[in-house]
Amino acid sequence: MLELNYFLVLSALLFSIGVVGVLVRRNAMIIFMCIELMLNAINISLVAFSSFLGNDSGQIFVFFVLTVAAAEAAVGLAIVISLFRNKESLDIDKINILKW
Amino acid sequence: MQELTLKQTLNSLSGFIPETVLIATVIVCLFLDLILRKKSVIVAVAGIVGLLVSGYFAYLQFGMREVIFTGMAVVDPFAVFFKILFVVSTIFVIIFTISSKEIQESTHHNEHVYLMVAMALGAFLMASASNMIMMYLSLETVSISSYILSGYTKRIKRSSEAAMKYVIYGAASSGIMIYGMSLIYGFTGSMNIYEISAILAKSAVTGNPVIVMSIIMILAGFGYKISSVPFHFWTPDVYEGAPVPVTAFLAVTSSAAGFAVMIRFFAVTFLQNNILLNGKLQIIPGINWTEIIVVLSVASMIIGNFTAVWQQSVKRMLAYSSIAQGGYIMLGMTMATQQGLTAMLVYLMGYLFMTLGAFYVVILVANKVDSDELVDMRGFGYKSPVIAVFMAVFMFSLAGIPSTVGFVGKFYLFSALIESNMVWLALVAVLNSVVSLFFYIKVLKYMFLMKPEEELTPKYQYGIGNYAVLLLLALPVMFFGLYFAPLVKIAEYSAILIGLK
Amino acid sequence: MQKYFILIVALPLLGFLINIFFGKKINSEKFSGWLSSLFVLIPFLIGISMLFQLLKLPPESRKIVFNYFNWISVGNFNVDYSFLIDPLSLVMILVVTGIGFLIHVYSIGYMHGDDGFARFFSFLNLFIFAMLHLILADNFLVVFLGWEGVGLCSYLLIGFWYEKKFTGDAAKKAFIVNRIGDFGFMTAMFLVFANFGTLNISAFTGSIAGFAVNTPLLVTIALLFFVGATGKSAQIPLFVWLPDAMAGPTPVSALIHAATMVTAGIYLIARTSLLYALAPTASTVILIVGIATAILSATIALKQNDIKKILAYSTVSQLGFMFIALGTHSYVAAVFHLVTHAFFKALMFLGSGSVIHGMHEEQDIRKMGGLKDKMKITYITFLIGAIAISGIPPFAGFFSKDEILYKTFINAGIIPYLLVLITAGFTAFYMFRLIGLTFFGKPRYDAHIHPHESPGTMTIPLIILAVLSVTGGFIGLPHLLGFNVLDHWFEPVFKNAEMVIKGYTPEAEHSASVEIILIFVSIIVASVAIYISFKKYSKQDKFTEEKGFGKVLENKYYLDEIYDATVVNPIYKTSESFLWKIFDVKIIDGLVNGIAGFSSRLSLDWRKIQSGIIHDYAVLAVSGVILIILFFLFK
Repeated sequence: MLELNYFLVLSALLFSIGVVGVLVRRNAMIIFMCIELMLNAINISLVAFSSFLGNDSGQIFVFFVLTVAAAEAAVGLAIVISLFRNKESLDIDKINILKW
Repeated sequence: MQELTLKQTLNSLSGFIPETVLIATVIVCLFLDLILRKKSVIVAVAGIVGLLVSGYFAYLQFGMREVIFTGMAVVDPFAVFFKILFVVSTIFVIIFTISSKEIQESTHHNEHVYLMVAMALGAFLMASASNMIMMYLSLETVSISSYILSGYTKRIKRSSEAAMKYVIYGAASSGIMIYGMSLIYGFTGSMNIYEISAILAKSAVTGNPVIVMSIIMILAGFGYKISSVPFHFWTPDVYEGAPVPVTAFLAVTSSAAGFAVMIRFFAVTFLQNNILLNGKLQIIPGINWTEIIVVLSVASMIIGNFTAVWQQSVKRMLAYSSIAQGGYIMLGMTMATQQGLTAMLVYLMGYLFMTLGAFYVVILVANKVDSDELVDMRGFGYKSPVIAVFMAVFMFSLAGIPSTVGFVGKFYLFSALIESNMVWLALVAVLNSVVSLFFYIKVLKYMFLMKPEEELTPKYQYGIGNYAVLLLLALPVMFFGLYFAPLVKIAEYSAILIGLK
Repeated sequence: MQKYFILIVALPLLGFLINIFFGKKINSEKFSGWLSSLFVLIPFLIGISMLFQLLKLPPESRKIVFNYFNWISVGNFNVDYSFLIDPLSLVMILVVTGIGFLIHVYSIGYMHGDDGFARFFSFLNLFIFAMLHLILADNFLVVFLGWEGVGLCSYLLIGFWYEKKFTGDAAKKAFIVNRIGDFGFMTAMFLVFANFGTLNISAFTGSIAGFAVNTPLLVTIALLFFVGATGKSAQIPLFVWLPDAMAGPTPVSALIHAATMVTAGIYLIARTSLLYALAPTASTVILIVGIATAILSATIALKQNDIKKILAYSTVSQLGFMFIALGTHSYVAAVFHLVTHAFFKALMFLGSGSVIHGMHEEQDIRKMGGLKDKMKITYITFLIGAIAISGIPPFAGFFSKDEILYKTFINAGIIPYLLVLITAGFTAFYMFRLIGLTFFGKPRYDAHIHPHESPGTMTIPLIILAVLSVTGGFIGLPHLLGFNVLDHWFEPVFKNAEMVIKGYTPEAEHSASVEIILIFVSIIVASVAIYISFKKYSKQDKFTEEKGFGKVLENKYYLDEIYDATVVNPIYKTSESFLWKIFDVKIIDGLVNGIAGFSSRLSLDWRKIQSGIIHDYAVLAVSGVILIILFFLFK
């Protein structure tokens, strides 16, 4: 039985990597992948808590997080396509007509 | 954990009728759209009828206090109040989509209707969720539909850019939020906010950094929904880029739903439910979340109002204005009293009508000039005096001029603040309203005092329906501005959350 | 029946809305005029039915409260929208709606052919609406709403013919002067709320009941309310607006500036009679102001030549009489005179309107003469009004004025009595000067003017008012002549005040002989004044420039000039040279522009933060979160 803290540290690290990825990467696709990373980090911590506490709620939550992530990815990709048609680029630092 | 039996679930369904009606409405609209396949108002009418029926059943729930689906959601006057608010605003927004040229010219505009009804369903659940899983799911229901809607006119660059920014910002924020939730879950072992509250009250959590951190992370999710500083950055861009009816929906329904879930989460979880001291609920020691809200609220008011001053697009101006208005509304949470909650509800009711009204005028103007820039509104007061006067009513109300409902809301908020000895905060808010006057009146200055380059004739022609909708929005603004006792009564009655004294 | 009571205010409001929004479109004088009249007649009938309701109750419990809704409720500040019917407010309702109805009907004839016909009637209905709130409200704030409402209507109606400049000026003058009075009213209200925690009138009078006589707080409140009353009821020093208000259409002068609105101040003080009973010092001030106003304006009226100006100064003077009655704690006498005055003064104003109508807008009595044969009904009814105001029995004015004289003699002493008596003589004198010059003598008008009698819609109200002016006095017969209905009727209203007064004034010996002597003295004074005046003016047809004191009187003691020199011009000068050029332009504008400039500069830079690039947003949001976390962890 591994200690809970290992899972939590792993989760925190993954989450941080995801956040930093969102902050620094310029390609919209990669940003979406970083968001997925964040969500999966959360899933790890939820499962870890759940098994540590002996309580199912955490694992149920994981199912929903996965579902929502899938839905979000679908919508996100659709938007990426529509944006790409308009701009022919996925560099999000270049999409700034809307500002100030 | 309670035993989940079929019987319990079936019993809970009786408290779930409004939501069930909405689900049915979404399905019916979807099929109608498939069958008709044409640009027809039938889908919109079906959507409105479904919302009305659902609103009626929600109205019947007034007075109920029940926990349904083994603690996933509750039915209490607070939730019912918000449900009715959502029904009203969604109906208006669907009417907006019918009269908006922008949307009518896009393909498949019928999809709008059932996406909006679906969002209303999400908002319903946000108002009644009492479990963190439910909160997250309902929030995402609203969010995902609104990502689609804001990128709806997909051939327009602005629209798809807005959707892109929205989806990235939204997904990241809700990710941060559930990280906070997972920490709270790990700390307390429960997803139900009532159980969490009980556990937190028992254990000495004073100043535990993990709890403070997780509160702030959860706040990121809620804060993004109500566009509070510093989670507001998406707001101006999305409001400007999205079609106006969608913007109106985001500004009213979506942010009201954000307030509903946020109020319930904080009030239930972090107040000691049974201990009243001097008629005031005590916050759980060591977790000074009210101070966090004070900071966010002041920042929202200041940044929202000051940035709005220089805007050239009315939609963008209204976006900043709604950030500031959100700041005012949050003031009601800072004192954690019944009075503050009542004031928030009063304000939200007024906010619904005046904001929708302002956006509707923007739609009507945009239908004629294909723009939402202030400069293109020059001379509108001459070309369509009646609509310009309506705009004046909404602007005065947003600025909080007496004899409008906007004043009543501010008045109640500020007097609640003063009664809780937070005079300095009231003062900050009043000064902010003075600044806000500046840009609200600027719209009127452009409409009435500045002449456009082209001729003032011919006048713009609008259908009688447009005037009727405007009147429906403006009448409550003026009527409740003068006679606000019923408004306050409703708010007082609705400021009852299960589990709170 | 009681559940329809709200109609009493709802119908005038409806009439206002219909006429203001659709009047122009419908464009039918018959419709607008009669609709408005009907919507005042029905409230009158409701008033009558309430009268029977009250009569069914035993006298002590003649008080009906209609509580409609809670208008404002913030913390402990509660304002109910409720109406109070008691003998006092009921009498006022009957006067306002009854005379109001007659004047509405009269206006149908008088305003015939005017472009703003529907607008005129909408304002009249709005006035009735506001006035009824003033009368019925059981709460100072709602009273104040009505108070402001009637002020607004007065402003709108004085300036009704806004194309003429002087009507606009007169309207503004009325508005501004009334603001000063309103300031007093508002301050009084604040004091009431601050000290008693309520604005409900019944609650307020209930809670002052135990106070000692002449408590400084009560005297202050009483005086401040009186300041409000001097504005609305045209007393020194704020009476200057009323004569100018005659620029409005004549029915307006009759309704608002003679019969109803200007009596609001008297009503307010009568309503809070207990307060004034507890503050005899304030009452003395009222008495002095009342006497001064009565004499001043009666003497001015002696030398005026504009038929409406004479009546206006006469109104100011008669209002002074009512304040004298209030000042001597004779509340019944004040309200009695209010009622009879409403009858005969409305009658005379409408009569003067009829004359002006017949003379093609001529108002100068020097250019009239001999009209009695041309305008028979107008002449006879006007004469009745003049006799009534002069105080000849058995006409209405005699009884009420006599009551005031008697009470002044008993409660205030011989010198005030003599002053009031002389004023009464002046009243008879200028009224018969007016009669003599207008209706008698040789015609002095241009040959092309052919005076004619007015149409039935105008003469019938005159006849009804004339009948009331003859008989109205019998509700308040002197004690020695029999049973005083009015005293008995008002007993429950003023009972508390009278108990207090009995506490500090020795019981006055009620002596029949004194009363008889006083009655005869006043009849003799009035008769002599009438005789001299009529003899002199009914034959006069040459007019010379007034000299000496006469000129001073003709120019109203130069009061307008004095006000201009002492109050208006200094204010104007300081406001121009200091307030405007320095304070406003430099300081206020500077401040406002400074703030505006600052905030727009700030905004200009600030909005750059919103760069449009989502990375910047994310960085800012995350650093915001980190900042907040750090703040709360290390604070």
